[in-house]
This record gives sequence, structure tokens and C-alpha cells, in this order.
Amino acid sequence: MLKRLLVGTLAILVVGLVGFGAFAWRPAIGEIAPPAPSSFAPDLVARGEVLAGAGYCSTCHTSKGGQPFAGGYPMKTSFGTIYSTNITPDPKTGIGTWSEAAFRRAMHEGVARDGGHLFPAFPYDHFTKLSDADVSALYAYMMTRPALVAPAKHNSIPFPLNIRALQAGWKLLFFKPGRFEPDATKSAEWNRGAYLAEGVSHCGACHTPRNVLGAEKRDKAFAGAAIDNWIAPPLTAANPSPAPWDQAELVAYLRTGLSRYHGVAAGPMAPVVHDGLVKLPDADIQALAVYFADRDGAAGRSSTLAPALQRAAAADRLNVGPQNDPSARLYTAACASCHYNGAGQPNPLRPDLALNSAVNLDDPTNLIRVVLYGVSARDGAPGVVMPSFNRFSDADVAKLAAYLRATRTDKPAWPNLEKKVAAIRAQGK
Amino acid sequence: MTQFTINGRAVSIDADEDTPLLWVIRDDIGLTGTKFGCGVGMCGACTVHVGGRATRSCITPISAVEGAEVTTIEGLDPAGQHPVQKAWLDLQTPQCGYCQSGQIMQAAAMLKDFPAPTDQDIDATMSGNLCRCMTYVRIRAAIKQAAEAMGGNAPSATGAKS
Amino acid sequence: MSRLPPKGESGGFLSRRNFLIASTGAGLAFGFSALVEAAMDPAAPGGVPIASTGPRFEPTLWFAIDGEGIVTVNIIRAEMGQHVGTALARILADELDVAWDKVRIVHVDSDPKWGLMVTGGSWSVWQTFPIFSQAGAAGRIALVEAGAKLLNVSPVGGTARGGVVHVGGRSISYGDIVKRGGVARTFTPEELAKLPIKPAAERKLIGKPGKALDIAAKINGAAIYGIDAKVPGMVFARPKLPPTRHGAKVLSVNDSEAKKIKGYLRCLTIEDPSDTVPGWVLVIAESYPAALRASELVKVKWAAGPGAKVSEKDLQDHAASLIAKPDGGALLENKTADTAPAFKAAKSVLEQTYTAATVLHFQLEPLNALAFEKDGMMEIHTGNQWQSLILPTLAKALGRPETQIVMRTYMLGGGFGRRLNGDYAVPAALAAKALGKPVKLVLTREDDVRFDSVRSPSVQTVRMAFDGAGNILAQEHHAAAGWPTLANAPALMPKGKNGVAYDPFAISGADHWYEVGAHKVRAINNDLANETFRPGWLRSVGPGWTNWAGESFIDEAAHHLKTDPVALRLKLLTGAGANAGSDASTKGGAKRQAEVVRRAAEAAGWGRPLPKDTGLGLATSFGQERDMPTWVACVARVHVDRASGVVTVQKLTLVTDAGTIVDPDGARAQTEGAALWGLSMALHEGTEFVNGQVKDLNLDTYTPLRISDTPELDIQFVDSVEVPVGLGEPATTVVAPAIANAIFRAVGVRLRHIPITSAAVLKALAEQT
Ligand code: FES
Ligand code: FES
Repeated sequence: MLKRLLVGTLAILVVGLVGFGAFAWRPAIGEIAPPAPSSFAPDLVARGEVLAGAGYCSTCHTSKGGQPFAGGYPMKTSFGTIYSTNITPDPKTGIGTWSEAAFRRAMHEGVARDGGHLFPAFPYDHFTKLSDADVSALYAYMMTRPALVAPAKHNSIPFPLNIRALQAGWKLLFFKPGRFEPDATKSAEWNRGAYLAEGVSHCGACHTPRNVLGAEKRDKAFAGAAIDNWIAPPLTAANPSPAPWDQAELVAYLRTGLSRYHGVAAGPMAPVVHDGLVKLPDADIQALAVYFADRDGAAGRSSTLAPALQRAAAADRLNVGPQNDPSARLYTAACASCHYNGAGQPNPLRPDLALNSAVNLDDPTNLIRVVLYGVSARDGAPGVVMPSFNRFSDADVAKLAAYLRATRTDKPAWPNLEKKVAAIRAQGK
Repeated sequence: MTQFTINGRAVSIDADEDTPLLWVIRDDIGLTGTKFGCGVGMCGACTVHVGGRATRSCITPISAVEGAEVTTIEGLDPAGQHPVQKAWLDLQTPQCGYCQSGQIMQAAAMLKDFPAPTDQDIDATMSGNLCRCMTYVRIRAAIKQAAEAMGGNAPSATGAKS
Repeated sequence: MSRLPPKGESGGFLSRRNFLIASTGAGLAFGFSALVEAAMDPAAPGGVPIASTGPRFEPTLWFAIDGEGIVTVNIIRAEMGQHVGTALARILADELDVAWDKVRIVHVDSDPKWGLMVTGGSWSVWQTFPIFSQAGAAGRIALVEAGAKLLNVSPVGGTARGGVVHVGGRSISYGDIVKRGGVARTFTPEELAKLPIKPAAERKLIGKPGKALDIAAKINGAAIYGIDAKVPGMVFARPKLPPTRHGAKVLSVNDSEAKKIKGYLRCLTIEDPSDTVPGWVLVIAESYPAALRASELVKVKWAAGPGAKVSEKDLQDHAASLIAKPDGGALLENKTADTAPAFKAAKSVLEQTYTAATVLHFQLEPLNALAFEKDGMMEIHTGNQWQSLILPTLAKALGRPETQIVMRTYMLGGGFGRRLNGDYAVPAALAAKALGKPVKLVLTREDDVRFDSVRSPSVQTVRMAFDGAGNILAQEHHAAAGWPTLANAPALMPKGKNGVAYDPFAISGADHWYEVGAHKVRAINNDLANETFRPGWLRSVGPGWTNWAGESFIDEAAHHLKTDPVALRLKLLTGAGANAGSDASTKGGAKRQAEVVRRAAEAAGWGRPLPKDTGLGLATSFGQERDMPTWVACVARVHVDRASGVVTVQKLTLVTDAGTIVDPDGARAQTEGAALWGLSMALHEGTEFVNGQVKDLNLDTYTPLRISDTPELDIQFVDSVEVPVGLGEPATTVVAPAIANAIFRAVGVRLRHIPITSAAVLKALAEQT
């Protein structure tokens, strides 16, 4: 999910250069009387519900403690805060007067019913790939939700960035409209996975790095990116986890939120799994897994698993018997009771830190965040909690991170850890 | 309002979301078997089960257990006869007893993952539980005795480390 | 019963032992009606003793029997893990001759009738044994007489077994006797003292396996500790601690930010006439989390007291400079004043200096106290080890007589001496008085550590003079440390040979039982330590450092003399003259110490070949003090990794002669715990002063022993029917020197500071030539 949009200062310049003319101007589409919920076929609504889940619509369009889809969720950018809008069928404050054509234009082209350009915080650059049939299903689902009165909150984006028309320039540069094109060389299942991942589930919105103007770098698809104070790891062969993300791992992770070899879905990934993908049938999860196992190059990396497991078991042996090194003592007392696996296969509920993606990433952010803030019962493995070690000093957390990096991976040490911990503590949860 | 279950009973707690679960259990719910030792997650005296897994309640914000199942020492076994408790009684493990709720909760959860724990498994999974009275020799022996009673056949129940 | 004399006034207590005997004897006036109110039964749910129904027979202050034959024993000692109630009740129950499953214990309040209430020094069993034996015997005799009367037979030849009186061919149970009433018999103290006590061979409970009475409640969450105390309407308090332990003054308190916290009530600057907690501000709130949150936002400005800049190095340097001055400190009474001639005559002299770091109590339950007024009494509910010591202080602080203050002692989540000093009760009581409502004070762990009465760092210099024929002519032991007794109970300080008062707790151990010729022992107060913090009694107190020096030094002397350290010890433990033992408690003297040394060496395989870089080291002590010796010897088997400097203790073998062992399993548990404490202080724990405060405030950097550090233990007791002595501390005193001695034998380097770190070992190895 794209909660934080990176808006570059260059936007103003770009806008100046492109001249809007006919491109920038889009007509309003006439208001309609809100359609009766009974006018939508129930199975169409049901399909829409699945897709809305796959697209995490409610995650961004629901404020904390608020009603589903009523909007008001703040997305902080470096220029100010954008609030998500009410997408319930309320005629005054929601999308009740939107025709299906207006809805389709928003999804496929990023233009609101009144002709205004939408901020790309709304990932129409992915939704443009959705088939017409799926857009119809989503429309049916949204228009059958309870209409809620929730006026839009005022965005705090300053002039002139708040001029909607300026977004047209951005689109001209970075937006490629068009439906999903299947790859004939791949299986139907792979193509289904690709369709979901690149379209409605907009995985790249978090996992693809962006340029200074906040657009995804197409040549770096799924190469991993910083998002929302977290790191969305690469979903390609560049993923640093010692164990490959094969199909079985991906299915377990996307279905339950925890995998044996990589850890749990925490941070912004937690609602993706537990609130979004949970709606998808197993076949679709399977399809996503086929697609990403391929992108990860898992098949070619299967031989890395056995040595990784061996190293993990060897690392666990460091924390038995008398403990002398202060960092080892800290780890043994604070972490090993939950994370030690010993000689056996790693237990998914005892996330093995030699295999864990947070310990293997180039950036320690995810590890530090999880240590400081924990994982709640709703996130990660359902019903299970990792407590929050935020009573540890910055030095203690840095010590732990450095110790894990040194003893659990063969990767270079993370620099400036203590400062990093302080910065992440200052960001807050 | 945070809702969760504790020892099978549904509770609804009106406390700031960062309030440590420990104090909610002790002062709001009134179950004082769970103890405060360090408050930073380094002694294990406050260990409870969340979703069946040993969890340090002193550093678990109440918001984290929304919807979860919490079990304290008082609810580990309805009659206080969990095999771990029986072994603890039999070997007279507690001295002052203050750490022992946490030790027992940790051991009971650990035995689910390691039904036949080796000395190494015990070292790694029990080192987070400080016993200032240093009852460690008996804790080790009692865990092995409990494992045997539960059918796990621990390597040896002598209590001495090889 | 008498309280301690006020501070500064000499009580004339020449030794601790005399003091204790004098103060416990008077509790024995029989015929008391001792309704046990407000007592705590650790085995009962919620700690509330189950009320007995029907008539009770209370032949002494110490116990009662009801119509069901249930015996309730009153325990004035605090339960802090030593199963003290079990040990003491076994003494009484054995003599009374009742079945163990009929015995209950209650921990009583601080009513003056109980006499001196102190739990420490490993004294409880030693001190209580004669009293409870006589109390049990008195009960048995009275019940036999009463039973005979009820059965209309002559009491002559009557016996009691398992709670049943057998007399004249008939029998009647204790319960039935009590139910039918009419047991009336009193004993004068003189009569009591003459009562025959069972011969050891007839004992049924003492020395036999049995179940401790306090354990069931400690495995199901039912045990009630001080921190669990509650009363309706109480508010919670967390202190803001001043920058120095003494003399700090509050300049200003700003709570404007704290007012935003829900449940925050107010700040209270404590005015303390007893000067126990100068500079304290309490943050009061409706809940403890609110008090915690608010306290982080309250800003207090203080004027610091003395010691605000003092570091660990300052403390040690000061101690060393005091030792260097020949005439400071106190000379121990029973030792030599002048060893100069012997040193002058010596062919060779060996001198070494040993240091020990500051150690925290870190009892697992942070300090707390609940205080409130009820029916004209100030009630203080907390865990405490020395009620009689803090009551006068509380009286002074509150400005009310001691008779209007009562302490209810809950179970202690560890004592180790921290709660001998009841200072934490004072701010709670003052707050309850100021607010007019119940106040529950709970210290966070960091507060607890900063307010700890730590074990003082110490410096000791030991010297020995030798002739040319392998004989020792003289020894000197100079020990400088902060003195806990000076800080907490100065009236208990005896005077040395040179008229200078000293802290016996801080030097005991240096007055060993070896035959070394002229023997001078000098105790020096590190006044900078006492000025900077409030030194505490910590498990074994002085012997924790005096034996570290003394027993390391004996090995160094053996090395100097090119002799085996065990052989040298056995040679010096002659058991002659002053070391022969002079009364029942010390019977056998140094001969008994030699015996535990021999046994431990043998059990550990002394002299057998060992793998490379592995060594055995032995140390021995008499536990706490000369008039209550617990003979103990320890052999440590260690391996030293030359590359990392890591010392691994593979096994500790301990042999103890503590006289009669009352509760064998409890004795073993105490020895396990004490030995591991010794190991923890030898290798794992220790902190230092920085700017007048200890540096390590919690377990992230303070690193006591954990389960993975625990070696194999082989613990043996000498079978004995002698006077039972103490077991809570002795094993603590021998482990560190045994380890240092073993390191020397493993790799040839000598470490003279505890805790021994791998860095120190590496450094020593690098300096090795
Ligand atoms: S009190 Fe929670 S770990 Fe110490
Ligand atoms: S029994 Fe006292 S802390 Fe463990």
C-alpha cells in the first residue's frame, strides 16, 4: 500500500514544462442517481468483494477507528498530508452519484468524476491494468456498501502542488494506461498471479523504488524500496534472504502471515495479508506465489536452503552454555527464548533470525522497528505477540542488531546503528 | 477499549493503548500471580501466554493483545496440576518463588515446542528467566521430569548438566 | 521486648551472638494468649490464615493446637526463599511429636510480644532451635498430662507419638484433648530451659526428607508478596530519586506536563524527620502505569548532597590510601596488635592486594510498601527482614510512638539482605500520613537499583611473614570497605582492641581458624563509601570479600612455599589453642574445617591429571563468623580459553558441615543458591559508581548468573548431630577464591579482582612471562 507519496520539488518545474492544453483538461461525467443495491447481481458483488480485498481498498479508505470505506485516512508526504476519500455510495460526500463509467475512468485513468486529476497516492497506475469485468465487479461491490456521510478532509498539500491539473504533467511523464497483457510464454497460473500482483494488488507500489517525482522506476520493478518508515524487501532474485522464496513459502506467508524461513508479515505488510489477501481464494494465492517464486528465481536458488539451515542451527548453538560476550548475553536473555530453534527444523512460530529477511536486508530498519515496537496479535502470526523492547536504550538495540548481523549472516555490518535506532525511535510507531 | 480473553474469560479494558499488559493483569483484572521484576523484558517474571506462546507482559502494550487469548499462571491449569507445576512441587523448585510463575509459564510453553528438551534447548529457551535465588539446577531437572511425564522423554532427568 | 537502642548510643553488644541470645530469651513467658491476628499464612489462599474453630490450646507464644489436632506454628522470621517456616516448624513439630501434615505456619505481625524480629545472618535455625525444641517439649508434656487426666489414669510413663497420647494402656489424640478442653499448664523460663530434648536418634522430622509448607502457593500464583498488597482506596506512588543518596534537597518541582496524564493526582515532596529519604518526591496517581507515565514528565531540580561526583575508582583509591596509613581502623579484639617483630624476623614476606566490585542485591521483587492508617495505627504492609530495626525510624519519621505502628510482613521476592534495611517503608508511610489515604509505593527496577544498599566495593591487603623453613610466622589482613552496620545500625558495632568501633559484618572471615602465628586483623571504614551511598548487608556480607582475599592469598602462600594448597591448609587447620572451639556451636573447631577440606578435595579428585588449561581450585571458610561457624569447602573445576580469556566453570563441589541439618532439602537448596551467588559475583555481576550513582540500572547491562551459566553442582553435607548452624550464606564465600585458585592452576595467572572478566584474564595471560 502506498501510504506515503514521495512528491519531489521537481514537480513544479515539470509541470511548467509540459503545458497542459487538451491533455490536462478532462470533462466531468454527469451525476447519476445512486443505483439501487438490488440492481447488482449478487455474484458480481461477491467477486467485487474479493477484488476489493486484493486491492486493500479499506486499508487506505478507512481512518483509524472509523467506518469502512468512509475515507479520512492520512497519508503523510514530505509536502503535507493527503487524506483518503469517502468511497461509499453517499451522494453528497461519497461516490453515490458516480456512474460506472466515471468509476472506470478513475480506476483506469486516475481522473475523478468531476474531471479533476487524482493524486497518484491512488494507485491508478496499477488499477489501469484491471479488466473491465473486474472494474464492474468492484463498482458493484462499492455501490452496495452502506452509504456513509463523511465529508472529505482538507488536504494540507500547499499551493501550487495542490492544483489537481498539475498532476496531468506527472501522468504524461510516468503513467502508461492500458489493460494487463498476458505473457504467452508463461502458464495461465503465472499470468493470473501477474495480473493480481501488477494490477489490483499493486505490489509494486511498495516494493518498487520510485524516482524523485514519486513514480515507480519501471526498470527496477519489485527491486525493493523504503516505504512508510519500513523497508519493502526486493521481490526479485536480489532478495537477500538466504532461503529462496519458493512457492510453498510464499503461499504460507501470503495466506497465514508467517513463513518458516522468512518471518512474519509485520508493519505495512500485515494488513495486506490479514485484511486484504485474506479475501482471495487459495487458487489466487497460489497464482501469486507462482508469479513471485518466478521473479525471485527460487527454482535456481533451491540449493541455498540446506546451508542456510545449517548456519541457522550453528548460530543457535552460540546461545547455549555460559555466555560471556555482553551482546550474546543480551540476545540470549531477551530473544533466544522465542527465536531459538536448536537442531530441529525452524518452527514458523519461532522465527529464525539467521533466515529472517529483516536481519538479511541491506538496511536494518525493519529489524529495529520490530525490536522497538513489536508485532501485535492482529499482525504477524495471528493471535501471537512479539512484545516491544522499547525500554531498551538505543545502544542496547544497536548492540542486538549488530550481534545478529554478525552472527546470523555473512553480510557486511550495518553502519551507524545507534543513530539509526534513535532516528527510528523518534519517528514513533 | 481493548478486548481480549484472560484464562478463558472475556474482558474489556479501558486503559491507554500503551499501558503494559502486566499492570492491567495485576491491578485491573486483579490476578497477582504474574510478577513485575525488571519492566524491560529481561527477567521473565511477568511471563504469560498469548495465543499459547510465552510472552513478557511488562513490555506488551495492551493494544497488542486486542482479540488475543491470554493465559496467566492462575489459568495454566484449572487445578494447578499442570505437569510442569507437579514437577516443580515434587522437586521443591521454588525458593522465594517470585520468579516461578514466569519460569513455569515459560517452561510450559517451551515444552510444546521442545517436548524432549536437551540441556541446550533448556539453556536457550530458559535464559530469559532470571532466578535471583538461583534455583536453576532444579528448574532444569523439573523441566526434564515434566517432559517425561508428558511423554516427551527428555534425555536425562538428573538435573546435572553433562 | 526491647528494640534496638537509638542510633549512636552504644548498646554494649560485644558480639552479635550475645546480642541475639539476650534479645530472644525473653519471648518465652508462657501463658500468653496469642491470638494470631493479621498474620500471613503462605500456604493459604490470599495469605489469610484459615481460622481454627472451637477451643485452642496455646501452651506457648509459639504455637497453638486446635480440636482437629492442627498445629499452627508462629513464625517471626520472614519467608524469602529459605523455607524458614518449614525448617523452624519441623523443630517444634518433632519435639511435640505430631505428623507433618497437621502442621501449618503463619508469619506474624510486628507486635512487640514477638521480641526481636530479624531475618538474616543465616541465624534463624541456629537461634530458634533451642527455643522451639523446648516449646514443643512443653506442649507434649502438657498434653500427656492432660490426656492422662481425661482418661483417668496416671500420667507416669505416658508417651506421645504422632499427635496421640499413649498412657496407661489407653490413648487419646491431641485434637480430642483440646476439644474437651481443660489443658492448663504453664512453665517458667527456668522450667523450660530444663525440659529434656529428644536424643537425635529419636527424631522423626528433623533431618528427614519432607515437603516445605510454602511451596504449593509459589507454583500457582497464590503466594502474596508485598507488591501484591492492596487495600480499597489506595493510590499509587513512584519516586523521583535525588542525585545522591544522602543530603539532597528539592529545589523545585514542575509537574505541568504531568497534569496531562489521565489518573495523575499530584507530586509530594517528602519531608522526612528521620532523614531516611532526603530529597524524595513522590508522583501520586490513581494507577501505577499513570504514576510511571507522569513521573517521566515531572521535572525536579535538586541540590545534590555529598558524593555527587564520586566514581568507583575514587572509592577504591580512597580505600587503598586508608590501608596505606598504618594506624587507621579497628584492630580485632581476639587477634594480635603488633606483628612487626615477626615481620622483622622473617626470611621472606608475601604481600598482595585484592579488590571486589560494587554488587547489587537485585532481589527480583522491586522494593515496595503499602501504608495506611487504620484504627489509630499506621499499618505498613511489605516484605521486610528486620522489623525491629526500622520501627524506631518509622516512629521518628511519623512523629508517633512505635506502639502505633504495625508492620505486616508479606512474603519477600528475595531478600539477600536488602530488606534488612527497611528504608523504603518510610516514604510510603510519610505519604500515607500526608495524603490521609492508603499509599502503595512501588519502585521501578531502575529506582530499586539506584536506591539499593549495595555491597560496598572493597580493597584488602594481606601480608604474610615466613621463616626459611616453610613456616608461617605472622599474617596481617587489612580490609577497607563501606560499612553497612555503621550506616544502618551503628549501635551494634563492637569496639576493637584499640577502642575503635567497627562493623563486625564487614571484617568477619578475616579472623580465620588457621594457625599462622601472630595474626593482625584490621577493619577500616571507607568513609567516602559511607558518605556516597548507604552500604548494605548483602548475602554473607564481609565474608564475601574477606574470604576472597584470604583464600586467594593462602593459595599464593602455598605457591610461595612451593607446597600444595590443600596440604598447606590442612597443616594450618590444627584445631589447637584458640582454634579448638570453645562451646557447643564451635565444638571441634578447625578440625571440622580440615575435615570438609579433605572431603571436598577427595570428592573433586584433587591431584588427578586434568586436560590442558583445566584446573581445580579449593577454598574453605567458616561461613559467617567465629562463634557460629558453618564449615564449608569448595572445589571449582575451571577451563580457561587462552584465546578469548573465557573462564568456564565446569563443576563446583561443595562439602558443608552445618551441624544438625534440620530440613535437608531446604539445606541443599540454600547451598545451591548460595554457591551460585558466589559464582555470579565471581564471574558475572558487578557494577561501578559513576557520579555518585551505580552505572548499571537494569538487566540489559547488569548480568547476574542465568541458567545457561550454571555448572554442575556436587553438594554434600557432613552427617552431624551437633548444634545446627546457618546455611543461607556460607557457600557464597568460597566460590570466588576457589575459581581464582583454579584459574591459577589451569593457566598460571593470578586474578585479584572480582568479578573476573575475560578481558582481565587475557591481560594477565599477555603479561605472563
Ligand atoms: S518484568 Fe517483564 S521481563 Fe522482567
Ligand atoms: S525463586 Fe526467588 S527469584 Fe526465583
